Amino acid sequence: MTDQTPLVRIEGLSKHFGKVVALDNLTLDIARGEFVTFLGPSGCGKSTTLRILGGFERPTSGRVILDGEDVTSQPPEKRNVNMVFQDYALFPHMTVAQNVAFGLELKGMNKSAIRRRSDEIMSFLELESYAARYPVQLSGGQRQRVALARALAPDPSLLLLDEPLGALDAKLRGQVQQELKSIQRRTNKTFFFVTHDQEEALTMSDRIVVMNKGKVEQDGTPEELYFRPASRFVAEFIGETNLLSGRMRGTEGDKVVMDWEGTTLLGKAPAGLPAKGEPITASVRLEKLGFSVERPQTANAVQGRVVGRTFLGSRMAMQIAVGEGNALLKAYVDAETGRSVGTDPVWIGWEADNMAVLNN
Amino acid sequence: MNDRPELFRGNRIFLACVYWAFVLYVFVPLILMVVMGFKDSKFIGFPIRSWTLDWYTGVFADAEVLSTFGYSTAIAVLSTLISVFVGIWIAVMLEGRRFWGRTAVFGMTVLPALVPGIISAIAFRIYARWLGIEPGMGAIVWAHAVHNVPFVVLVVMARLSTLPRSQIEAARDLGADPLISFIRITLPYLVPAILGASIFCLLLSFDDFVRSFFLGGYEPTLPVLIFAKLRSGMSPEINAIATIALILTAAIGIWAERFTRRMNKET
Ligand SMILES: Nc1ncnc2c1ncn2[C@@H]1O[C@H](COP(=O)(O)OP(=O)(O)OP(=O)(O)O)[C@@H](O)[C@H]1O
Ligand SMILES: [Mg+2]
Repeated sequence: MTDQTPLVRIEGLSKHFGKVVALDNLTLDIARGEFVTFLGPSGCGKSTTLRILGGFERPTSGRVILDGEDVTSQPPEKRNVNMVFQDYALFPHMTVAQNVAFGLELKGMNKSAIRRRSDEIMSFLELESYAARYPVQLSGGQRQRVALARALAPDPSLLLLDEPLGALDAKLRGQVQQELKSIQRRTNKTFFFVTHDQEEALTMSDRIVVMNKGKVEQDGTPEELYFRPASRFVAEFIGETNLLSGRMRGTEGDKVVMDWEGTTLLGKAPAGLPAKGEPITASVRLEKLGFSVERPQTANAVQGRVVGRTFLGSRMAMQIAVGEGNALLKAYVDAETGRSVGTDPVWIGWEADNMAVLNN
Repeated sequence: MNDRPELFRGNRIFLACVYWAFVLYVFVPLILMVVMGFKDSKFIGFPIRSWTLDWYTGVFADAEVLSTFGYSTAIAVLSTLISVFVGIWIAVMLEGRRFWGRTAVFGMTVLPALVPGIISAIAFRIYARWLGIEPGMGAIVWAHAVHNVPFVVLVVMARLSTLPRSQIEAARDLGADPLISFIRITLPYLVPAILGASIFCLLLSFDDFVRSFFLGGYEPTLPVLIFAKLRSGMSPEINAIATIALILTAAIGIWAERFTRRMNKET
């Protein structure tokens, strides 16, 4: 897209429900054609943000700018934004075709244009053979696609999706995730997706906004969030990780030196440097820890003893007691290596770039 | 543990007896009424020596009965239309909204259904005279409509409360203003409730005696006609009229019940 101005500008958005602060001064830009995911635990304000964007809720303060126009006080029917609801909200007394045509009719299109557009979108989502069915006669996955078709038909500039896969079983979910992502790519539409499932967010998004208690915790690509979490909350919320609690010792180049269980470790520095001697936490992913009998050449190396293992098919999760035995590390190794490790002390090594020192 | 089943069985038999006694108590008079309509004699009572259909053919030949039937039907249809229109309006205004005085409005809406018939009939009569409304069809329709509104309101409110909020939001999201989303989404959703309430109102109006009696002009409704005929002496013709009315209302009631149940299942 040639247009570089953001599609959506959220400026200082706050929403209070009585004493509950659902959103606290949220500021955010969404670029055109982006697949943005709002991720966070239950009650962190994801749906509230979406509902404000859709026009179903008025913010307590702040503005929403859509395509350069302030839409904060516009009712939903005036906005060129459509929503896929968590319960799909298909109209039960209308067929699939009538559901899809609903938004087109209200745009004042003529009959043949409506026909053409709804046929186009239904064939795009492979729904032609269900056109004459009623929503009760469809499976969960089919309903989900009808909801998507209905929302896409009027050609909105922004599509809002509030946990649209929550009602699907695990297997179908994975399949629909891929489908959604590919639909987004092919239509080149801006998708604003809400979920509390971190795996889903990592799979589908160009960009993830992690929310906590009405505030943005971190905003970045899935890789950034996964390998360079900005806070303990993000590190714990996304994927499984080892959290090491130690003390700040100093810096070495752009790295932080940290005291942990009687050794010194090197890690990537956080945005604001903690003072010397302060307690700090570092995060290192399970798959970044390497096993060896000899001391490895990595920047960080500690010796420990395997105290537990869990067989996971192609790989094994190992628990290693380190130092005096009161610190536990978890690591993934391939099943072969996992079986060969005995009760003798082993070396665990990892690179400084794979450990993020966090602001608590 | 051992004597429990015994106890249960005793209870069950007792309950079954009570149930059947109740059924008999309700249905024997009805059965007697129907049977007497076929008796070939002017006097109601046993023994029945010979049978006839004359009373029924008489009903269908009786111009007065037929026109009264039409009159009652017209009153029922008109009053139902008014009750349904007003009832939906009030239900939509009350359901899911909070405003000052909501409870008071709700209470006043339901009140007409709770006031004893004779009292509300007299009140209507006085009020009608005060307003200068002549006794007759208009007055009866008005009284029936007011009396039936609460049933429409309650049934429609119950159905409305089960309409997911997301349905209306989805309609608004796709470009419908509040009025269009009411017409295209809310109303279709309410159809089973509206149908059920309409049938109930029709039957209530058709069946009403007290209000029709107090507010009627020279032309009697069917229950009022039956009452008038009774005063000039009981005859099997009345049984025949009553049986026809019974069959008609029961048929409509059963059909409506099954129809609304099917519609409820579908949505
Ligand atoms: N209509 C409302 N009235 C009162 N409080 C509300 C209302 N809607 C949301 N809240 C509160 O605002 C906060 C944020 O709610 P929101 O629905 O945005 O959470 P969420 O992130 O979508 O959570 P979930 O993952 O459970 O859907 C919650 O504490 C919730 O209780
Ligand atoms: Mg939510």
